[in-house]
Amino acid sequence: MGQAEWVTDPISTRDVDGPIYFSDEDWRTIEAAAARIIPTDNHPGATEAHVVRFIDRMLAGTQFVFAAADGEGFLRMQGREERAWAERIEQRRDLYRSGLIQLCDVSVGRFGAHFVALSCDQQDAVLEELSGEPKPTKFSFDAPEDDGLGGAPAGNQPVNEDFLSFFPLLVLNSRQGFYSDPVYGGNENRIGWAVIGFDGPPTLASTMDGSYTTKKYMIVDAEWPYERHPEVLRYRRP
Amino acid sequence: MKTKKNPEPVDVVIVGAGAGGATAAKVLTEAGMRVVGLERGPWLKPEHASGDELKYLNRNFIWQDPKLKPRTYRPNDREEAVVTNFSATPQVVGGGTTHWGGMVPRMTENDFKLRSIHGDVEGASLVDWPITYDELEPYYTRVEWEFGTSGLGGANRWEGRRSRGYPTKPSPLSQIGRTFATAMDKLGHSTFPMPQGMVTEPYRGRQPFSENGFWQQYPDPGTGKSSTLISFIPDAINTGLYDLRSDCYVSEILVGPDGKATGVRYQDEDGDEWVQLANAVIVCGGGIETPRLLLMSKSALFPDGLANSSGQVGRNATFHQYSFSVGLFDRDLTDPLYGWSGHYMSGCSFDFYETDESRGHILGSLIFPSNLGHPVNWSFPGRPTWGSAAKDADRELFNHTMKIGILLHDLPVESNRVDLDPTVTDAWGLPVARITHTPHWNDFAQEKWQVAKNGEVLEAAGARKVIPVNMERITGNTSHELGTTRMGDDPATSVVDRWCRTHDVPNLYVFDASFFPTATGINPALTIMANAWRCADQIIRVDSRGWAQG
Ligand SMILES: Cc1cc2nc3c(=O)[nH]c(=O)nc-3n(C[C@H](O)[C@H](O)[C@H](O)COP(=O)(O)OP(=O)(O)OC[C@H]3O[C@@H](n4cnc5c(N)ncnc54)[C@H](O)[C@@H]3O)c2cc1C
Repeated sequence: MGQAEWVTDPISTRDVDGPIYFSDEDWRTIEAAAARIIPTDNHPGATEAHVVRFIDRMLAGTQFVFAAADGEGFLRMQGREERAWAERIEQRRDLYRSGLIQLCDVSVGRFGAHFVALSCDQQDAVLEELSGEPKPTKFSFDAPEDDGLGGAPAGNQPVNEDFLSFFPLLVLNSRQGFYSDPVYGGNENRIGWAVIGFDGPPTLASTMDGSYTTKKYMIVDAEWPYERHPEVLRYRRP
Repeated sequence: MKTKKNPEPVDVVIVGAGAGGATAAKVLTEAGMRVVGLERGPWLKPEHASGDELKYLNRNFIWQDPKLKPRTYRPNDREEAVVTNFSATPQVVGGGTTHWGGMVPRMTENDFKLRSIHGDVEGASLVDWPITYDELEPYYTRVEWEFGTSGLGGANRWEGRRSRGYPTKPSPLSQIGRTFATAMDKLGHSTFPMPQGMVTEPYRGRQPFSENGFWQQYPDPGTGKSSTLISFIPDAINTGLYDLRSDCYVSEILVGPDGKATGVRYQDEDGDEWVQLANAVIVCGGGIETPRLLLMSKSALFPDGLANSSGQVGRNATFHQYSFSVGLFDRDLTDPLYGWSGHYMSGCSFDFYETDESRGHILGSLIFPSNLGHPVNWSFPGRPTWGSAAKDADRELFNHTMKIGILLHDLPVESNRVDLDPTVTDAWGLPVARITHTPHWNDFAQEKWQVAKNGEVLEAAGARKVIPVNMERITGNTSHELGTTRMGDDPATSVVDRWCRTHDVPNLYVFDASFFPTATGINPALTIMANAWRCADQIIRVDSRGWAQG
């Protein structure tokens, strides 16, 4: 069955509250790590957005890879595409499995306790060690460009996560859980979008029926100053 | 032994249903020919689309999965090629046009005669096109009107003569477009509304785009975005003469003992193999898949691949690398830009398009402003990635960033090419395309100069920080794959003639992006479609006269 014929399963990432894939302990560890990656301050962070649920559903299997277009249910993948994704998810599980062991080892080795029991500063120190680089410092307009680690935006090429190691994958997945459509299990009540001022669609369906539009952020009535181009009038549609 | 019966022979079989293939299908079926289209990808419909960033950008619902369809890349012959997702392009009904940006500017008159203008350029294989702007102009106009476009005809003062304006008015201005236009104006430069493959008024039964912001890399759930999926394919289907078979992967073009093409061999979705016979074969697989298919179609008569007696199949490949400068604006000083509103880009300029040797290089590109993406993929070099620094940067800059980009007008170089990888195969067990490419020095010079110039425009716009994003190598990040079956009059130096018919095989044609003799500095799809229409007309008028009844 080709991709265009995949049927929709009436399932949701919120059918159960807690973990589907992680053990309770791993769930709590990833939740704590995500909370340092996108911390809660005067605005909500990864914890309130349920980023850990997003990551858990991503690792749970191929049933939550592609939401149905209108957000009601998920596409049941088939054939080669499904096999490729099953393989990809297996690779990610391996990375999370070994990453969790590493998190535990560094926490116990340096601070004598599990990651979840550490203070915020201690947790940051553990993550910093895992990342192999200094913890990013505050962005400034005047600082040189190489102080953070983020790269150029994705232009118009697909994003390939298959080559990431554990820490950058965890950072990216946390970001995805914070900012992707709520159907995937994170961005609860679209709080991730609210934090940065993205007035995104209330539902995926609203992007299909034309009811969601960004026109109020544009200058729709602007006329181009074409009077400077004498040719223009000649060619205009009557 | 299989007992199944192959499908009936037809007039024309077209490999691929993207920009070129669907245009050919429309024109030929509307003239009464029976056409079979074989498209390896699925036939997704508008109702499969919605504004889901994760699905379309990160999980590649429509981009090909690199696990199934890898490609390899190496800078030169001395190095081992490595697997990369080089120039990914959607392999679906509608091809690259399904989720594209829909920028549809025309080539300038000079683009057709760069060799005459610049003479020999060392290290490059610069040529004139065998056709002129005036020959293509009527077809540009037809595509603009039948496909559905918007713009302000005549507003581009660098454009050649045009016989008609655009069918719908320019797309609405975004804050990014306004910022770009005012800064350019301040510097004494001209801008005009980007010609778009979208309808902005009710047109041919279609409703305007909702401006939901989900444009670049998103297929449209409505009817505003023009793609061959929504325009030319339905036109062809409506004739009752276009049998479009999706999920059908062509693995070989077949030739008879007389050296003529007889049809193609393909696999359907269940892995069953079929032969489709036809009077003529038109290959429209895209600038990488087309040379790959020609090179895979080896036979006793054509041991080096089909239509390759010149050895030119796959050579002179150009890729229009997209580079840009990012502008970061201070939210205490500047109003928000809301980059995610509208449709990714807005406005453009051709002021740097034509050669000015005082810049230290030849050729140039159109430039255009755009956003840095939706929340998940929004980024800039130097962005803090985690912790409170990351959250602050997202919060302070998400609505205060934009970029101004270029499409590198890269020089053709004979050794830059597509061929078959000797070891890597795809999920079907067929050899994948290997790309060998090193940019010409002029490409680097042009790119550096223009990216810096774009940075000056951002500064004039009030950006507090400007970050150039320059290329280290070509990655194929525009999905513009050009030049690999070059069009020319001389069979020794080109693969197809001025009608895009192969010099070697009289009933085999290439109507996709592969024919471009030189790259141009604009988005290619309008030219691909106009040229496919022009060449399909020639099949109708001349070549089909002697055909057996299909
Ligand atoms: C995100 C994005 C944005 C873009 N924006 C623009 C833009 O703004 N303006 C512009 O002009 N261009 C743009 N492009 C580029 C444009 O889409 C392509 O240049 C154009 O579609 C190429 O047309 P084509 O006919 O050569 O091939 P395609 O449109 O790629 O079609 C080729 C088709 O052939 C099929 N095929 C290949 N091999 C086989 C085989 N062996 N058997 C069966 N089928 C096969 C493929 O599946 C594919 O569907 C964009 C591309 C992308 C990906």
